Amino acid sequence: MKFVLPIILVAATLVLMALAIFGVGQSAGTVGIATGSAVPGLGSKADTSEQALGSFLTDIRRRNWDRAYSALSKTSSVDEPSFIQEWTGSNGSLRTFSTLETYEARPLHATSDDAQMRVRMRWTTPVGPVEDVRDLNLKHEGDVWKVVWPKFTAPTVPAQVIPVNYLRWDLVNGGADDGWGSRNVDAPRVRIISMNAVDSSEGAVVMGEVVNEDTIPAFVNVNATLVDGAGKAIDDESSFDKIAHVLLPKQVSAYRIDFPNIGLKNVKNVRMDVKATLVPASADPVIGVMDQKVDPDAQGKSVLRGQLLNESGQTVNIPHVIASFYDNNGRVIWVSDGYVDRALLPQTSEPFAVEIPKTLASKVQNFHVVVNQYSLGKS
Amino acid sequence: MAALTVGLGRLGLPERGNWRPIATYISSKPCRQILNRSSMQLALEPASLSTAVSYPREGYSRPIPLFAIVLVALAVHGPLLLMQLPAGSFDTNFHIFFASHYAHHWFDPWNEKWFAGFSQTTYPPLTHQWIALLSNVFGLKMAYMVVQLIGVLLLPVGVFRFARIWVDDRSASHAALGSVFLGALAFLVYQAGQLATVTSAALYLNALPYFYEWMTEASGGSLIKGIVVSWTAAAAHHVTLIFGLVLFAGPVLWVAWLDARDERVPGSVAGVISRAMIFALLVGAGVAMVLAPYWLALIQHPIHQIPIPHDSRANFLLNSITGINYFVIPYGALILALPFIVIRGASSPRLRPLLIGFWITFIFGLGGTTPLPRLLLGRAYEILTFERFTFWATLMAMPIVGVLVVELMDRFHAKAAAGLALAAVTTLGAALWWLAANPFRPAGTTDVDPVIAFLNRDGHDAFRYITLGFGSELAKVSTYANAGSVDGDYNSARLLPEMTHYGSAQLTNAKFYGSSGMAALRAMLSHANRYGLKYIFVHDPYYEPLLTFVGWRKIETFGSGQITAWSKDDVPPAHKMESDAVPAPWEGLLWGTVPMAVSLLAIFLELLLPVRRRIPVPVEVPARAEQPYVA
Amino acid sequence: MQPKNLSDHSVLDKSVLAPAAQPASVLDDSVSADAVLKDSVLKEDFALKGRGFKPRRKYRKIDRGLSRCGRILAATRMQPWLLVWVLGANLGQVCAAQDIHAPTSVPAGEDTHFTTTGSDKATFYLVGPGVSSKSDVELAQGVRIPAQSVRNAGNYLAILCSDTCRSATFYVTPAQPATLTLRVHPSRVPVGQNDAVSGVALPFDQFHNLVIAPYEVNFQLTSGNSSVMSRAVRTLSGIAWFRTSSGKNTGILQVNAALNAVTSRRAVQQVASDPCNLRIKGQRTSKGIMVETEPVRDCSGNPVPDGTIVTFTASSENTKSSVDAPIKRGIARAQMEAPGATTISAASGVVMGNDLRIGAQP
Repeated sequence: MKFVLPIILVAATLVLMALAIFGVGQSAGTVGIATGSAVPGLGSKADTSEQALGSFLTDIRRRNWDRAYSALSKTSSVDEPSFIQEWTGSNGSLRTFSTLETYEARPLHATSDDAQMRVRMRWTTPVGPVEDVRDLNLKHEGDVWKVVWPKFTAPTVPAQVIPVNYLRWDLVNGGADDGWGSRNVDAPRVRIISMNAVDSSEGAVVMGEVVNEDTIPAFVNVNATLVDGAGKAIDDESSFDKIAHVLLPKQVSAYRIDFPNIGLKNVKNVRMDVKATLVPASADPVIGVMDQKVDPDAQGKSVLRGQLLNESGQTVNIPHVIASFYDNNGRVIWVSDGYVDRALLPQTSEPFAVEIPKTLASKVQNFHVVVNQYSLGKS
Repeated sequence: MAALTVGLGRLGLPERGNWRPIATYISSKPCRQILNRSSMQLALEPASLSTAVSYPREGYSRPIPLFAIVLVALAVHGPLLLMQLPAGSFDTNFHIFFASHYAHHWFDPWNEKWFAGFSQTTYPPLTHQWIALLSNVFGLKMAYMVVQLIGVLLLPVGVFRFARIWVDDRSASHAALGSVFLGALAFLVYQAGQLATVTSAALYLNALPYFYEWMTEASGGSLIKGIVVSWTAAAAHHVTLIFGLVLFAGPVLWVAWLDARDERVPGSVAGVISRAMIFALLVGAGVAMVLAPYWLALIQHPIHQIPIPHDSRANFLLNSITGINYFVIPYGALILALPFIVIRGASSPRLRPLLIGFWITFIFGLGGTTPLPRLLLGRAYEILTFERFTFWATLMAMPIVGVLVVELMDRFHAKAAAGLALAAVTTLGAALWWLAANPFRPAGTTDVDPVIAFLNRDGHDAFRYITLGFGSELAKVSTYANAGSVDGDYNSARLLPEMTHYGSAQLTNAKFYGSSGMAALRAMLSHANRYGLKYIFVHDPYYEPLLTFVGWRKIETFGSGQITAWSKDDVPPAHKMESDAVPAPWEGLLWGTVPMAVSLLAIFLELLLPVRRRIPVPVEVPARAEQPYVA
Repeated sequence: MQPKNLSDHSVLDKSVLAPAAQPASVLDDSVSADAVLKDSVLKEDFALKGRGFKPRRKYRKIDRGLSRCGRILAATRMQPWLLVWVLGANLGQVCAAQDIHAPTSVPAGEDTHFTTTGSDKATFYLVGPGVSSKSDVELAQGVRIPAQSVRNAGNYLAILCSDTCRSATFYVTPAQPATLTLRVHPSRVPVGQNDAVSGVALPFDQFHNLVIAPYEVNFQLTSGNSSVMSRAVRTLSGIAWFRTSSGKNTGILQVNAALNAVTSRRAVQQVASDPCNLRIKGQRTSKGIMVETEPVRDCSGNPVPDGTIVTFTASSENTKSSVDAPIKRGIARAQMEAPGATTISAASGVVMGNDLRIGAQP
């Protein structure tokens, strides 16, 4: 026993470790904390294109940039700083806040020398998960497969002078003794100009448009309460991030309020409530939405795509696109939104795309896009 | 047997002679009855024998007095705790928060400051209640340090007494001394802030010798003290009790059975088994009563939440930094002793139960490095964290390490002492260095006083709040702010669907749980009006885009912009959330009296019934170990 | 002594004068009574009981009576004015040795003199809205109440205690209007809106008592130099109000309210209404099409404020481009990308402008 037991214990330990490495799934770990690399010899091999891509993306996920860069094919014409910047983002864009969480890869075509893989990457971001689909080429070099990385050209802004009229509203609170009285300034007048409630696969959806009818900016929240036949509230939700909260005078924004897991069949009434507050605001930046068109994407889904053009002189770190879709009666039948993961530099444009549900794509006759934005230090 | 052979050889008798029959005779029960204790110990312990012969006057040939070991523990950990080093650990503020509630509402475990209301009966109260009690003298933070120090001081005592079940006094004393310098202890105390785990483990180790004595000697005093100390350990930490029952008590029961079978102790095998059952029944019944509100809360609201990621469940071989954090640092120099532990543990039949117990605990401590914990624990695997198993494994290894120390010191004397001291100090030092170097460390201490002041003025406490990027400082804010939060730093108490439906822990750390964490945060923000959630304090710009897009506005900046306060205008004041988890008044009464009473009874019994000197059952060294083993 | 006039004065029930069953310190436990007596002279006399203070002999009876009242109030959570009533009803019953005659009403903030009967010294208590006081008086000289004791309009209770206690009630009426509070809604109104502006005026005397007596308030609304409205309104229960339409021009609408020499002013911002006749023009540039509006005005010809959003939409065969551009210096402009034949439209809020058709770029 004195010999056998140590051997059994050591052997059992090794077998269990091997099982964990090669046989049993891993637990999810925390995100954004360096957990290090595999012990030498236990890391993934790159004997196949799938393995090579998996190893490459694992290194990307762990931010092991040197290892990831070393997995690139020598035919790749990208230097390491540019490669890293492409993954980590720049200019305070959404990508700079993002971490690659999971990925799925499937081969599009493969030969003994090269392969093309479609990778669906899921990023965790402050505004929710963002999916990114990318086609990657791999080459067989020597004994291993390597990823061919195309050259990344970061947008550059030429030196220029852009005249700006600083048009903004500041808020000064008066006292009780001045001519405006103790109530100061009334809240902005905001009105819901359309509302439509529909059932979707994930629950009831209330959507429409809201306009700021006033001459001052308004901070707007739209709330909806579903009421049953007995007049009892079933659920109440808010427009959350499916609205442009800051509305300048006469600006219109779409809103969408989701009621997960609730059907409309029991709903007799929808109580709408719009709350508006006077806030300081700026009329800049002006973002144009160019070349908007509805197209099918590579996966066959209908998407509204276009270009966001920053017409001002300040960087927009995170643009947010809210699109409302109308049927032939001019009724809002869906509201989609999406975040752009690259910063919008002055006088440059970035592409965007938002999805239209398959069931509604054929009914869409018109659409309207509003651009919401986040700029660092200007919350 | 081999020890005896070697020992006799060193007495000048033929080294290669066949002494085994003589040794066998001396080891037999009739002979033991003839020989007195000291001569028996001398005869059966090669180290003692050789020391006695060769180095009779050297201090390290005798057991180190327990009092001296406790003084060493006090000298090592006292200043560190006096410096409030654990204040920056993960869980310290959590424990202080719980204690703060008991300080204000001793008999009302319903705490409205987290999760819009939760029951503190979901966590055993003993350590928190002691902090609450001592806070009247020391203040909350220093009271925590005092209670932690008591736990740390109890640990070497427990290790010494636990080790004496397996090895002689001298080895046990070295084991106890070694436990003061354990990396795992430093990890839990200074990095993790697991006050209850450490205290409970120390208490449990102190209870196990009574368990052994009761089984083997049918000592009524041991039964009473063993049961009461076990109840006290349970009142400090339930998880330690549940797993300790299997991992610690199992080997003790096994060795008691072996001793009875081999007639090394007066009791019979049947007697050992029956007394073990009586002990288990009494402990079980007592724990059911002491923690009755806890069990009721658990039955009413079983933990159904989505598993929350924790890096102690990672595969350490594939995540090197995680491996350092959860294996290298806690074990430290003990890693070098692992071969000795396995070989010596396997060589002695009496040590085999301890070795098996150690190995299982060791494997559990490896988390996801092996599939065994997942297979054995099932769903509980995703709820537990595994650094505590590493701590327990080191404790279980200490008796055998004590033997190693004795052998090394007998062989290499001062050199061994210096080397071992260096190893011990390096292990502890590395764990302390790792506090500042590891990527898992809690965010640097933040001045949250302006946040507390904000919440306590101008009626802001009429609303609820959350913090983002505050880490364990959330509990500090909650301790001193009057306002309640929908967030909280205790996963098992969460009942709000916005939190339990997603695989993330605290909202304040949402980003570290990836999409699940951010989904939980979004769900909570979307229901801000429902919970009266009006204020958000941000200590990480990561969250600012989300808050901007979902309709919150920055209203104030604290600490040179390190912390910003955000608000939403249309949020109504918070109202009391209805919950079926509110404990009944009798539960509050039970919770406020029984655990504390049990701990006081344990102290009283320890003082009233002094420890009876036990006839040591020495380690049986394999015959082959004629050549001293060096790890 | 028997009561002389039970209709005016009530005699304190003798049972109240009996030794209290409860210790006198019960009063200190009574929240309601304690609140009423807070800051009063009575409180000063009784507050020290808990520290072994023994009330002066002449206060012991009232002490016991108040203790009982306090217990009742504490039990029933009655309002403080009820305490006044109970005190008056009970204390009056024991006041037979002297009498006090008070006028039925007294103007706020004026010295008042009460006549009394009797020749001894007495203690006079005055309890009213926000007021309680105690003073020693000579019954032969009557009681003079200083002006600062009757500043607040409302019912007052006067208590005169010698061997027994007598009481009288009187009403303090508001003085002449001294200030006029004017509230106008909204603070900001589009021009040309019917019944869009409303105002309320409330006269107060110098002691902040609402003057309920009817007075005539003159409302005058002026925009620039021109008068928009002038109206005299009589207050009803202390309130006068008006409602009127907004003017035609943007700018400050001054609202004046005058009551004799007392005046109050408020201002309302008159802002442009929705844009009217939104017209755009455009021209091709090297970057695309530069499109801009003509100066944007409402239907009254007022320029729409800068910052107002005008949405330009350029539609071509397959694609659409849009820009939300703010008006700056009266004009909104945007750079559009439209390589082919394009129709450009503009909208501001729910108001649509004209369409602009631009042919394909050669």
